Amino acid sequence: MAIYLDNAATTFLDKQVVRLVSSLSREKVANPASLHHLGVRAAVWVEHSRQIMAKRIHADPQEIYFFSGGTEANNTVIKGVASARKKHGNHVIVSAIEHPSILEPARWLQRQGLHVSYVKVDREGAVDPGDVARLITSKTILVSVMHANNEIGTIQPLRAIGQLCRKKEIYFHTDACQSFTKVPIDVRRDFLDIATLNSHKIHGPRGVAALFIRKGVAIEPLLHGGHQEDGLRAGTYNTEGIAGFGKAVEIVDGHDIRRMEQLRDYFISHIEGNITGAVLNGSRRSRLCNNISFSFEGVQGKELFLLLNSKNIYVSTGSACLANRLTASYVLQALGAADERACGALRMTLSKWSTKREIDTAVKYLRIFVAHIRRKV
Amino acid sequence: MKKQAERLDLTGVPCPLNAARALIKLASMPAGTLLEIVVDDGEPSANVPVSLEDEGCRVLGKVRKGHQWIFQVQRQSGG
Repeated sequence: MAIYLDNAATTFLDKQVVRLVSSLSREKVANPASLHHLGVRAAVWVEHSRQIMAKRIHADPQEIYFFSGGTEANNTVIKGVASARKKHGNHVIVSAIEHPSILEPARWLQRQGLHVSYVKVDREGAVDPGDVARLITSKTILVSVMHANNEIGTIQPLRAIGQLCRKKEIYFHTDACQSFTKVPIDVRRDFLDIATLNSHKIHGPRGVAALFIRKGVAIEPLLHGGHQEDGLRAGTYNTEGIAGFGKAVEIVDGHDIRRMEQLRDYFISHIEGNITGAVLNGSRRSRLCNNISFSFEGVQGKELFLLLNSKNIYVSTGSACLANRLTASYVLQALGAADERACGALRMTLSKWSTKREIDTAVKYLRIFVAHIRRKV
Repeated sequence: MKKQAERLDLTGVPCPLNAARALIKLASMPAGTLLEIVVDDGEPSANVPVSLEDEGCRVLGKVRKGHQWIFQVQRQSGG
């Protein structure tokens, strides 16, 4: 039996999403930008999904824009705001533990001569809004702090950061790729100007994401060559993907979130109760419902990963993007973790289909393999 | 007392997304209910009523107000 505990990397498609996407794939779906009858019918799917997204985060449908993925959306935010607001300033603030799709474009801005500040996090991975306030200058144009971290699951205090940004007329963006539908988002309550929403972390299709962009917020497009999405995202609509994304959001059930929270807590306590020298990474109180991240003293995460893989238990070392590299996790280093702990992290992420039995099996093998590795050292 | 028709403002929304939004709105309303749709003059005012009629809606009236048009539309049963 395979046990899939890598749902922060991607989730498997829900059957309802598969049914919708495959039925659309068999239909004659025209280009939603075409003015003819079939174009209008295709546009209905796009607009229906747009309305579902907007309702979920208390936005207006006209504030939702579709993209080809979280990375493209995040690149558009960092580069696009810097370009659109260059008359207002040249300083951007991001947290030190952002996803590479935020950090890399921020470094690109630095190479173009802009200033970027990296706000630190505490030992649990939380950003202190006071630290953001201290970094703000008269030239700051954008603050980007992720809603929940992809490696350790720590949830950030969006509202407090958003409030101080709004007072200073600085755009506030959050990358909500991991948290969307798991943690409630209210763009008005949280003073958000821009938010990134992802499909494939919630059993929707890969290759589709959305940005919430508050009315009046200026962003330059990353891609040129078409008028789609008010000119902000040129390129033919991925109609089937967008429709599938809408379905994935529509079928999210709050009971699944609460069940994952219970399973997460069971998983954490089961590891701590059965394996000595297990250190939980991230916050206990303010944590994504599906994230379990541990470092095991004297154990390389990669070695543990390979042994679990041999038993068809699929997890991740740090973030998926770093899984094939034996480098220390920059997220854990930002938490102040020593290199051994930062190299030893194992991330296990649940889905709505995860079971207690799977967790029991995973912990059983974790205990065996940690002991085996420690005996070798 | 006659109930005021609901209004959907689609100004600034390009074709054919404006017609799509109107169709979604109409689909959520009981058949026979009147919806007022506001669209920009030009391509939207030319295309939207045609698209809605193609999908089985009836356009009962239209009024021009500056650079905008207001169409009174009714979804037919089964439409």
